[in-house]
Amino acid sequence: MSELIQNRILVWDLPTRWFHWLLAASFAGAWLTSESERYSALHVMLGYTLLGLIAFRLVWGLAGTRYARFKDFAYSPARVVQYVKSLVAGKPEHYLGHNPAGALAVFLLLGLGIATGVSGWLTYNEIGGEWLEEAHELFANAMLVVVGVHIAGVVVSSFLHRENLARAMVTGYKQGGPDGSINKKRGIAALLLIAAVAGFWGLWFNGKLDSLVSGQASAQTEDGGGHRDEEDRRGRKDRHDDDD
Amino acid sequence: MRIFAGLFLLALASTAVFAQTPADFLAGYSQEAKQANPGHGEPSAQRGQRFFTALHGQEWSCASCHTRNPAAAGKHAVTGKLIEPLAPAANAARFSRTAKVEKWFKRNCNDVLGRTCTAQEKGDVLAYLLTLK
Repeated sequence: MSELIQNRILVWDLPTRWFHWLLAASFAGAWLTSESERYSALHVMLGYTLLGLIAFRLVWGLAGTRYARFKDFAYSPARVVQYVKSLVAGKPEHYLGHNPAGALAVFLLLGLGIATGVSGWLTYNEIGGEWLEEAHELFANAMLVVVGVHIAGVVVSSFLHRENLARAMVTGYKQGGPDGSINKKRGIAALLLIAAVAGFWGLWFNGKLDSLVSGQASAQTEDGGGHRDEEDRRGRKDRHDDDD
Repeated sequence: MRIFAGLFLLALASTAVFAQTPADFLAGYSQEAKQANPGHGEPSAQRGQRFFTALHGQEWSCASCHTRNPAAAGKHAVTGKLIEPLAPAANAARFSRTAKVEKWFKRNCNDVLGRTCTAQEKGDVLAYLLTLK
C-alpha cells in the first residue's frame, strides 16, 4: 500500500455501518431487557431484529463492497496471532479493512448471534429441551465477552494506529492511499435495510405481530391445558399478519 | 482434598444432575428460613396464598401471570403467552431442578417485589402450591 499519499478515503459502505450499529443496539437492548418479564416482548422483538440483521450481513458478506466481503477478511488463525503479537509489541500491522482480530470478532459475533437468536427462539416457543434455555444464556454471555474484547481491541488499536476506528465505523472514512478507496456508498441497500428494520418494529408496536410473542408454536405441542383452544384460536386469527 | 472433591460432587449432584422433588425444595427452604431466623415456624400454605395473590409495592402479583388458580395454565401479563401450570400436582416438571427453580424465583421475585425472595417466602409459596390438587 502506498504510505506516501494519505487521503481521507471511503472504506465502509453505508449498509455495513448501519448493520454494525443496529446490531450493537439490538444486542445491548436485548441484554438490558433480559432480566424482567416486563420487557419480555421487547426482548423477543430485538432477538428477531438481531437474527434479521445477521441474515442481511451474510448476504452483504457476498454482495457488499470490498472491505465488507468475507473474502476480504477471512484471515487464518496464524494471521490473527501475528496481528495480536504486533499489537502487544506496540507496532501493529495496519489494515484498511478489518484487521485480523476485528475479523475474528466479526465471525464470532455472527456465529454467536445466530446461536443466541435461534436458541432463544426455540426456548421461547418451547421447542427442544430445557438445556436450550441455558445454552441461550451461555451464548449471550459469550457474546458479551466478545463484545468487550472487541471494544477493548478497538480502543487499543485506535491508540496505536492514531486512528479513530469507532469514528470510521460511523463516517466510513479512514486515512489511506487512493487505490484503497471503495467507490460506492450503496445508499439504496442501506435504505432497504433501515426500512426493513423500521417496518418490522412498526408492525410490532402496532400489534400486527402479536402471534410471535403469544407463542402459538407452544400451543400446538405437548399435553393439554384448559386454555389451549382459546390460545389456538387467537394464534390462527393473528397468523395472517405474520409476514413482514 | 478428597473431602472437597466429594463436596463438589455432592453440590453438583444436588444442583444439576439429579432431579429433585418439590418436598426436597420445601425442606430446604424451611431449613434455610430457620437458619436465617431461629424463631420461624414451618412454611405456611395460608401465608403463601396471601403472598401469592397480594401486590408487593409493584405493578404485578404472582397471580398476575400464574392466576389465582396456579393449578391451571396461566397467561403472561405482557405477551399473553401461555404459562404451564405452576402447581406440581398439575405439572410434574415444576420444582424438579434447582437451577431452574432458583433462576425463576430470582427473575419473578424481582418483578413482583423488586428484590429477591427470602427462603421463608419461597417456602410459604411452595407450601401453598403443594396444597393444590
